[in-house]
Amino acid sequence: MTIDWNFLWPLGAAMVIVLGFVPVAGLYMTFIERKLAAYVQDRVGPNRVGPLGLFQSIADGIKIFLKEQVIPSHVHKSVYLFAPTIGLMCAMLSIAVVPYGPANAEPGPGFRAIIAPGVDIGILFLLAISSLSAYGIILGGWASNNKYSLFGATRACAQFISYEIPIGLSLLGIIAMTGSLNIEKLVAAQGDGIVNWNFWWQPLAALIFFVAALAESNRLPFDLSECEQELVGGFHTEYSGIKFVLFALAEYTHLVTVSFLTVLLFFGGWHFPGLTGPVDATVAGFLIRWVVLAVKVSLVVAFIMQLRWTLPRFRYDQLMGLAWKGLIPLGILNLLGLVIVLTFDASRWWMTILSVAILVLSGMANVTMAQKRIQRKAASRMAMETQYS
Amino acid sequence: MPSLFINSVEIEVQPKENIVQAARRAGVEIPHYCWHPDLSVVASCRMCLVEAGTKKDDGTVAMQPRLVPACQTPATPNTVVVTDSPKVKSSQAQTLEYLLLNHPLDCSICDQAGECYLQDYTYQFGKAESRLDEPKVQRQDKYYIGEQIALFTDRCVMCTRCVRFTREYSGTAELFVTSRGSVEEIEVLPGQPCDNKLAGNVVDLCPVGALCSKDFLYKKRVWWLKSADSVCQLCSTGCSITVDQSESKVERVRPRENPQAQGSFMCDDGRFGWKFAHSENRIRAPRIGRASHGQVASPQLTTIGAPTNAVEQYSMSVNQSTPLATATVSDLTFADPWPGLINHLQSVLKQSAQDHPTKTLAVFSPFMTCEEAYLLADYLKKTNPKITLAMGPVPVVGEDDTYPKGPKGQSPAAEKTRFTIRAEKAPNRLGVEAVLQHFQKSIVNDEQWLSSMELNPFETVLVVGNSPAEWLNDETVSKLRRAGKLIVVDILENNLTHAADVVIPGVSFVEKEGTVVNHAGLAQTFHPAIRCSDGTRPDVRTYMELSGRSGLYHGPTIRAEMASVIPAFAAFETGELGELGKRVFS
Amino acid sequence: MTTENKKKTVRFAEPPKIGLSEALYLPAIAAGIATTVRHMFHKNQTRQYPEVEPDIPKNYRGVHRLNRDDQGRVKCVACFMCQTACPANCIEIEATGTDKNDPTWADRDKFPKTFVIDELRCIYCGMCEEACPVDAIELTSIYDLTGMTRQEMIFDKEKLLSVFDETVQSGKDPVRTVRGQLGPASERLSS
Repeated sequence: MTIDWNFLWPLGAAMVIVLGFVPVAGLYMTFIERKLAAYVQDRVGPNRVGPLGLFQSIADGIKIFLKEQVIPSHVHKSVYLFAPTIGLMCAMLSIAVVPYGPANAEPGPGFRAIIAPGVDIGILFLLAISSLSAYGIILGGWASNNKYSLFGATRACAQFISYEIPIGLSLLGIIAMTGSLNIEKLVAAQGDGIVNWNFWWQPLAALIFFVAALAESNRLPFDLSECEQELVGGFHTEYSGIKFVLFALAEYTHLVTVSFLTVLLFFGGWHFPGLTGPVDATVAGFLIRWVVLAVKVSLVVAFIMQLRWTLPRFRYDQLMGLAWKGLIPLGILNLLGLVIVLTFDASRWWMTILSVAILVLSGMANVTMAQKRIQRKAASRMAMETQYS
Repeated sequence: MPSLFINSVEIEVQPKENIVQAARRAGVEIPHYCWHPDLSVVASCRMCLVEAGTKKDDGTVAMQPRLVPACQTPATPNTVVVTDSPKVKSSQAQTLEYLLLNHPLDCSICDQAGECYLQDYTYQFGKAESRLDEPKVQRQDKYYIGEQIALFTDRCVMCTRCVRFTREYSGTAELFVTSRGSVEEIEVLPGQPCDNKLAGNVVDLCPVGALCSKDFLYKKRVWWLKSADSVCQLCSTGCSITVDQSESKVERVRPRENPQAQGSFMCDDGRFGWKFAHSENRIRAPRIGRASHGQVASPQLTTIGAPTNAVEQYSMSVNQSTPLATATVSDLTFADPWPGLINHLQSVLKQSAQDHPTKTLAVFSPFMTCEEAYLLADYLKKTNPKITLAMGPVPVVGEDDTYPKGPKGQSPAAEKTRFTIRAEKAPNRLGVEAVLQHFQKSIVNDEQWLSSMELNPFETVLVVGNSPAEWLNDETVSKLRRAGKLIVVDILENNLTHAADVVIPGVSFVEKEGTVVNHAGLAQTFHPAIRCSDGTRPDVRTYMELSGRSGLYHGPTIRAEMASVIPAFAAFETGELGELGKRVFS
Repeated sequence: MTTENKKKTVRFAEPPKIGLSEALYLPAIAAGIATTVRHMFHKNQTRQYPEVEPDIPKNYRGVHRLNRDDQGRVKCVACFMCQTACPANCIEIEATGTDKNDPTWADRDKFPKTFVIDELRCIYCGMCEEACPVDAIELTSIYDLTGMTRQEMIFDKEKLLSVFDETVQSGKDPVRTVRGQLGPASERLSS
């Protein structure tokens, strides 16, 4: 069998870039997160190692590699060791279908910024694989043989199952609009000017997707599975050193994937007003698009990190309530409106109007319920006042 | 019943009392410096001035216009005394201000601080501020008053208690007053320091920090001292004392007033005689196996608990050669040595009582307490009634030393004697003899058992020493050594313990509870002031465990038991003898 | 209790009004993000410690020192007041009389032979300083006391005197408490 180098080298290059990028990104995301946390809290943050503290991540990385390998005696050893690798594996595998740079909808020869171009079930593959990453957490929590770890794992399990539904519901609309599961095509469909970004047609779906994706990637305010106050460290209580870092890396990889998806699916990907024509016609155009994509993704990452210091962690019942009582009904209603608009072939702006209307109506329903609750409390307060006087 | 009135409290008149004593009974403290119940009255400090008058038969009261010194005024019937009137209070404050005129404000470095009458009375009766503008008169300190006494001259309030003590009580009259007015000083003649045997008492007598004991000087602040009532054990006078300790170290010993025993004072032999309790020479662990034949071995080498090869080998050889020994090296060497020792002793004594009861001898010492003697005698006689219980030699040094001395140092006539240092240097001859009399029916004295040691030696001999000095001479020890097995209980290493096969550590009187009977038959209980020295335990506990009694030693219970067993100790019936003791036999 | 008083003691808080913006959550989240973003541009509240040292107040209670008198002798008269006052039992003094043949000590009766403070056991309450009648023991502004062994944290008399030399000569900590020339306990000596 002959090896087709023309086919293999772009694949290899794309893989090398991803493999190299993920650990470095993981290290520097920690750094950025720490810096951001410090700024939000009126501090300086890491500034001792290297200029502006830039080498802090490298020092951390070296420290982590040199750390003692602690394996508690009570764990199920093989599963315990295997769990973090599963987590990271799933996280990195899901990147395979995500274009991390400008990519043509039709795969051609030469370098492309995606490992697996032209996968027609791209979104499905991505959802399937990223759901698998729950495995890593559940196995890690179970193998630790520790009640806190197991609690964390159980929470993560329920959380993953719950939030996959709103994610699916929110993506269905876009897929229905575009008529494809291929991510490159989904991006290409948003190419004709800024108004074509899916966000304008589907603001509610974008919101649902973003919230659910946050929950899927275990970020605050949804990191119930590693909630320190209640569960020590959650599923990674018994993990330390490089094994813990694999979990952390998986989480950051998820964060990056989620940011990419948000940008690619709802904010036009590498498209920007004024950038027209095929993505790889010129090197300069290619690079400018890449920069556009990178800036968009960075903004989303920064936004997610900022959310961490803005919102307190949910209570577990609130977390579940948000998925089942909030996001899923909203997602279904949104999908219903979209289907109606598509069926009657009405103007796409109806989708926007319907989305916003659904959101506002649900808010008003919420107000009504809240008022009823207040009335109930007032009644009981009256009863108490009469009792005291 | 004739009575008098102290601040309108009516109390009965008692003969030979002054107003200070009567007021004390009425619960009123009249401040005083120069007056002391055992010394003559000079009324020189003027601190005890009170208003006094007479209640006439018709009920009217005629007060004297002037203030009278309470120490000098006899408490006669119908006397009316007022101690809290403005007049008296003003007098007290003025007297104190005068006394403090030249008194240095060096309480922070004064040993008396904390138990100083100047401090106490100033708080209670004095003014807070000095009105003196001129520099205070400073007088040179005198460190040469005596071997044990230093004088901080500027602290002195010239109460002359010390001077009167040396004149009236010790009769040696070393101290006197020189000069007059504000340069008045206590002094000794050159070459004649205050070194008599009662000299230490002037430190206790001094109401301020002028006379200090060099032994205690700067050692501890007095508020850190914790006290225990005790009884001096260095002669058969049995002075009541207070042992002051801090952090389980005895710091000083003071006399405790007991009219039945010795009065208010004590001699310097007893005052500084507690130091053997902290001696380097203490036996700190029991040991089995003779130190060496005739050689003085270092105690560490043969102590049980010291894991040296020499000990193991030696103990092994002892164990192999004597079938009686049941204790093995392993359970003696590293663990608590006491259970093994008790087992060993029990088996030795039981075997001996079985094999040759008439050749088993126990020698009791007059340094034992009554309880120790009783528990040991009871155990031995219960093991076998044929075991001989004997009395050890009672140390007698010279003759009784009586005070006050005459001008040429001669002893006073018997009826004028106020204090006696006994020649019999042991606390409890009478008590131990009473126990032996009961169990043995006769006192076997040291001559008797020593002669039989020569002719027909005992096989097993148990000797209790516990003397602060070397008790037996070498000749006696060599005779005792003829026994097959020599068991010794003692506090310090000496010729006897070096010759012994088994050495059991005892503890000194400051570490244990017990009762001793003094020369006059007065039984007094003393209490432990400090914890037992490391590795030792009270003798009574050893005897309790030896005899297999259950529970902890409880003095009153044992004394009550003694009272029921031995008629001579009938006075022990309640187990409690009170602070001043009880006379058991005369 | 009367009804009137009861009404005063039991107070009912008004529940917050919930409108559309609160029910939608999003405006509140936006406001929160505005707060955090605003803080990113605030001035830093932290200090870069080893480079920038904190301003120590004059009455800071740091490492102890034993003051010297004007003749350079230890001012302490070994009165044990600090040891008595110490709630942590970290002071241990051994007193001795002065050598009466030594003219430099002729005016003093008692001084500390040893004076040991266990800086690890100390709780830096300053009671010793308050108790001292001759202003001999003082707490300095030295706050960064560290050591590699427990032994070196037990300060003896020489060490405590050297702390005095160091802090007074550097001008960092002037003698804080001056009450007459030598203080009341040595008053008679100076008069």
